[in-house]
Amino acid sequence: MENKTGNNFISYVGFEQHEMQLLGTSHRDSLSENSMKLLAGELLIAKAQNVLMFAPVGDLTQGISGILSVTNFKLSFVTTDDTNSEDVTYQQNNLCGYTDTCLSNIHDIYIIIGDKKRRLYTGSTIPSKVEGIFIVCKNMRTWSFSFKFSPVGCGKNLLTTLLHHAFPSRHQLLFAYDYKEPYYNSMERGVHLFRDRADWENELQRTTRIRGNTNKAWRVSTANVEFEFSLSLSQYIIVPASVTDSQLTRAAGHFQGSRPPVWSWSSERGAALVRMSELLPTITERTQENIMLENIRKSHPQKLEPIVIELKKDVTVKSLATGYAKFISLCSPENIRQFWMQDNNFYSLLEGTKWLRSVSYCLEKSVEASDCLNAGTSVILQEGESRDLCCVISSLIQLLLDPYYRTITGFESLLQKEWVAAGHPFCDRLGHIMKSSSERSPLLLLYLDCVWQLCRQFPAEFEFTETYLTTLWDSAHISIFDTFIFNCEKDRYDAAMDPASPLILRSVWDWREQFNDSDILLFYNPLYSMSLSSTGKTYIKPVFNIPCLELWAQCYFRWIPPLEIRNGGRNHIELYSRLIQNDISHLKVNANGSCSSPVDKVTTYLVQMNIDSFYPFTNKKSGNVISTPIMNNSTLPTESLLDVQSLLTAPD
Amino acid sequence: MTIHTCDIDADDIQKLTDITTPTDLRDTLDAPNIGSIILEIVDAILATSMEKRSSAELLNIEKNNSKNASSDSLNSDSKSSSLNSKIGQESECWDKASHSKSFSTSSTSTDNNIVSALETKKETQEQRSENLSGSDTGPPLFSGEHVHGQAREVTYLCPYSGPARGILSVTNYKLYFKSIDRETPYVVEVPLGVVSRIEKVGGASSRGENSYGIEVFCKDMRNLKFAHKQENHSRRNVFEKLQQYSFPLSHKLPLFAFQYSETFSENGWNVYEPIAELKRMGVNNDMWKISKINDTYSLCDSYPAVWAVPAAATDEDLQAAAAFRSRGRLPVLSWIHPESQATITRCAQPLVGVGGKRSREDERYVQLIMDANAQSHKLFIMDARPSANAIANKAKGGGYESEDAYQNAELVFLDIHNIHVMRESLRKLKELCFPVIDETRWLSGIESTYWLKHIKCILAGALRIVDKVENHKTSVLVHCSDGWDRTPQLTALAMLMLDPYYRTIRGFEVLVEKEWLSFGHKFQQRIGHGDEHHSDADRSPVFLQFIDCVWQIYQQFPNAFQFNEHFLITILDHLYSCRFGTFLFNSDRERVQEQLKQRTVSLWSYTNSQLSLYQNPLYWAGPLHQLVLMPIASMRHIKLWKRLYCRWNPSMRQQDPVYQRTRELLIQKEQLEKKVEECRREQATRANRSLTSPAPPRIHSPVHS
Repeated sequence: MENKTGNNFISYVGFEQHEMQLLGTSHRDSLSENSMKLLAGELLIAKAQNVLMFAPVGDLTQGISGILSVTNFKLSFVTTDDTNSEDVTYQQNNLCGYTDTCLSNIHDIYIIIGDKKRRLYTGSTIPSKVEGIFIVCKNMRTWSFSFKFSPVGCGKNLLTTLLHHAFPSRHQLLFAYDYKEPYYNSMERGVHLFRDRADWENELQRTTRIRGNTNKAWRVSTANVEFEFSLSLSQYIIVPASVTDSQLTRAAGHFQGSRPPVWSWSSERGAALVRMSELLPTITERTQENIMLENIRKSHPQKLEPIVIELKKDVTVKSLATGYAKFISLCSPENIRQFWMQDNNFYSLLEGTKWLRSVSYCLEKSVEASDCLNAGTSVILQEGESRDLCCVISSLIQLLLDPYYRTITGFESLLQKEWVAAGHPFCDRLGHIMKSSSERSPLLLLYLDCVWQLCRQFPAEFEFTETYLTTLWDSAHISIFDTFIFNCEKDRYDAAMDPASPLILRSVWDWREQFNDSDILLFYNPLYSMSLSSTGKTYIKPVFNIPCLELWAQCYFRWIPPLEIRNGGRNHIELYSRLIQNDISHLKVNANGSCSSPVDKVTTYLVQMNIDSFYPFTNKKSGNVISTPIMNNSTLPTESLLDVQSLLTAPD
Repeated sequence: MTIHTCDIDADDIQKLTDITTPTDLRDTLDAPNIGSIILEIVDAILATSMEKRSSAELLNIEKNNSKNASSDSLNSDSKSSSLNSKIGQESECWDKASHSKSFSTSSTSTDNNIVSALETKKETQEQRSENLSGSDTGPPLFSGEHVHGQAREVTYLCPYSGPARGILSVTNYKLYFKSIDRETPYVVEVPLGVVSRIEKVGGASSRGENSYGIEVFCKDMRNLKFAHKQENHSRRNVFEKLQQYSFPLSHKLPLFAFQYSETFSENGWNVYEPIAELKRMGVNNDMWKISKINDTYSLCDSYPAVWAVPAAATDEDLQAAAAFRSRGRLPVLSWIHPESQATITRCAQPLVGVGGKRSREDERYVQLIMDANAQSHKLFIMDARPSANAIANKAKGGGYESEDAYQNAELVFLDIHNIHVMRESLRKLKELCFPVIDETRWLSGIESTYWLKHIKCILAGALRIVDKVENHKTSVLVHCSDGWDRTPQLTALAMLMLDPYYRTIRGFEVLVEKEWLSFGHKFQQRIGHGDEHHSDADRSPVFLQFIDCVWQIYQQFPNAFQFNEHFLITILDHLYSCRFGTFLFNSDRERVQEQLKQRTVSLWSYTNSQLSLYQNPLYWAGPLHQLVLMPIASMRHIKLWKRLYCRWNPSMRQQDPVYQRTRELLIQKEQLEKKVEECRREQATRANRSLTSPAPPRIHSPVHS
């Protein structure tokens, strides 16, 4: 790119062009912070001008110049080059721009010193001259900035601020507490948060009613409604009907986290899926455990002995985290040289991360449990506090056995039930807060990867696409939504009920908070066939041996431009079937229209045709965007539809 | 090639019927190839007013078919590629295998790959009629095929499902084993062309069960073990017959292709006409002309009779250039860019030798190639070899072009290793994939074979060629040592990426005929048809690598190819089978001499008579944007082709349900199209009626937006 001189802002500069510094800073100020969008309650904390942003995984010789700022919500890079508002081809987030990063998404920060980089921690000393920084995000995006042309001291100032705010020490420092935008819930009605008693009652009914007679073997207990015996369990839990609340309370004290066995799901034949913690190490007699096991057995229609599956051997929270550290560096090469070096041994490096092995393990355990449940035997998943792998495995089992959970609302309800309500320590595992006691570990990602493997093996069985799963992973790092920032329901409850400043709960499932409808459309799988789920194939049984698994390229490689296939990639399959579906919709309208009934209101979306393999996550810089209108194919709920005109005229 | 526009007016429904799919996709729809689930879909969606009979019939046929896939297996596969022979029969293995957890996970295995199931059915029908005449223990036979040996009480030692007792037959085409001790007969069938080596295991005095028998080593990544009774030399006869008919050339017998006499509705020998293909690329034109100087194969005996050279080159130029190139393989045209006129040309290494010889004529000739492209004043010479190998070749009289001698030419080495390295790599891969897969070291195991690294290297080389031709409008001259192994890998792949024609079924056949067969890739030597010298150093999986690379590109561009994976596997199966004449002999000259076209059947006769089996339902012949494919040559995208290399292992038998589902959608679409058509007709008649009647005409139903 040529340097533009004159009073234009220079957006592309060669790194070695030192004359660049001669250009006055005055006109650069014309790019004021008002071009940076601040949310209600968001405050600008630090700012550095003339920062160079390098292309990810490039050769670090050419960058785009702009202003880098830190707010209490995000790290934001603004450049004049970012004017392509009309031809936006990537997923647009209303809360976070394409060159913004939510602070909660920041995984590691490195300072560049010469050819080396050094990882920084809260409190690390920062030299007065900062050449550049390299940032790895939790969603594996990377950023390289250089302060070479910034005013003296800017780099240090910005980096100090960033380090302080990216790794907060208290929960109340998360942006969710500062976000002042009023909230109008527009969530799908079908999503159950499992915060009310009714959700649990309905779930119990839904799963046990199938055989015609309502199951009386399980009941909703309110013994923990004020978090009396377990701080990490939800207010309402489902337990064997034969267990009294006082028995339950007594038993709870013997289990880790004071979590007695609780019900998750029942199969058509009445076999139950139960999650159970291990006994406390100090407890030597197993009486309470045996009482609970006996009650679970009695809750089975044929009084069959349940099978206990222990989840602590091959994959642990710790071992997963260790492997994941290697995995994340394999997916976030710093520059093109490192990229090709990794490429030489990619397969053995991947094996070394044990990532696919963990995926394989989870799928294997889920199949093992599903086989039992399918055969009519109750299954008890047992793990430490039953808050980590239990979440992964129990959700997977239900996806394998219950088609309802393969719909979008079902999937979201499942996550609420098995993760949020069950007290998966999201705050610790996702590393929202820097605490020495908290253990980071990517259990949610492990689960999403397993789900992706299922989608890959059963492409017509799931209502959602991989884009949905990837977006969900991204959303787990936006500190606006309450869904993934708490360790348990009690913490959420306390925050929301805080008399001084109650937290407004915004669910991540309210996708319209983040995206417009044309992006949400891409969450819906055009190959999904609803009729399949209501009949026939209820149990889908995946293969899980490592040679049969694949790496989730969209999620892990999308920020590596050298890997993007121009006009190619498997997402073309989705696009192609979207177009066929569109034809089918048109033909249906046409058929009905010409034969009998009047045509319903037709709604249309623009769908981009010439997509690259990481669409919709990358910004297509080259070539023209070709798009075609497609009709709503009735997979979208009607109230969410806009007509094409309002889409085109809508402000972005 | 048809180009379909994408700018559709939402209201203009009329246009919509022909936007997304090429018309030839309808052929796919005619085939009864949908899963049983579609019944429900169609019912649910079309229940209101559709006439369902035709679709329901379609569906029922298929329903039965997929159920029968395994029970019919005894006669399901004699005609088909060996791939199909395994589908269905081993489905029982899943439950019985004991040593791996993976075998218990086979819920998907029951609904077989739809394409294969289809072919199985087709074969089944044909076979039934043949079987009426044959005995029911013997194998189904092709015309021209005869049983030459049979052994009873043979045990096939399946590495997955354990031993099966039955009868082993040997014909002049295949080895055929059928079990008698199972409810569902277990059938193994291997065309003898696939056999690379046969060994006796144990002697008459060997102890232990199943210790005495025969082991058959195959070229397609599997070995078969048979145990015989230790009495009366029970294996002698079949062993001898196996030897004779697996290696007929070593026993002065003809290859089966010369005895096989089935007729097909299409004649595959007409697929490739050199002049027609050159004309398709616009030759003759100002810069390039067709030359028949090699009419009698006198200038170069491993080149075809017809080729294209720069228009400015005289016959003397050609002769002089040929004299300076290894085996007379002078630079000739492979492909010409329709717009820029940049070309891909191919040849063998120059005969530079240790003394650094030069040939003014060759230099001038190369200059002519460069001059034929007005867009660029440069030429890239892509030497496929690692530079060390190129230098080493000087000792043998070969070498590479020096940039001093060849003005304006830039030499690039592409670092692709020779046939011996590739052979060794495949050997390691076979060890990894057959019979048992070590799951824990699978990824590092793949890496240690270097197979994918070689694939990456070939793809990267082809990409460099494409980049120069497409993005820099510069001509590229490609060679390796003799220009018949690595060179066709590169030129054919580059052409496949550049020209959508080669991504159609017929276009791909033309590509194989042209770049591989006519320009003298030595199939006979590389495969060793009918030859017992299994350790012959000339054997190498060069063509297999090419097909693997095609598959890699197909993985990255699932809509860009008219053919499917099954087509590629079929080609590879018959690369070895010796049933068709296509891959026999080393050069055009030999094929003409042996009257191959008259005496054998072409593989393309077989494939083109049943095109629907090989069509990719996702093929999207329209969009302009997939004109040139630039796949990514990174290990992160390059994958092991498990459905080929691991296909004998039932735990690895994965299907791709996307294809199935897409077919369903296409069928649904077609049915709706029919319905709309019916409605139109009905409307038209109604309109006519109302015109004649006095009532006010009500042609349109109310439409509001």
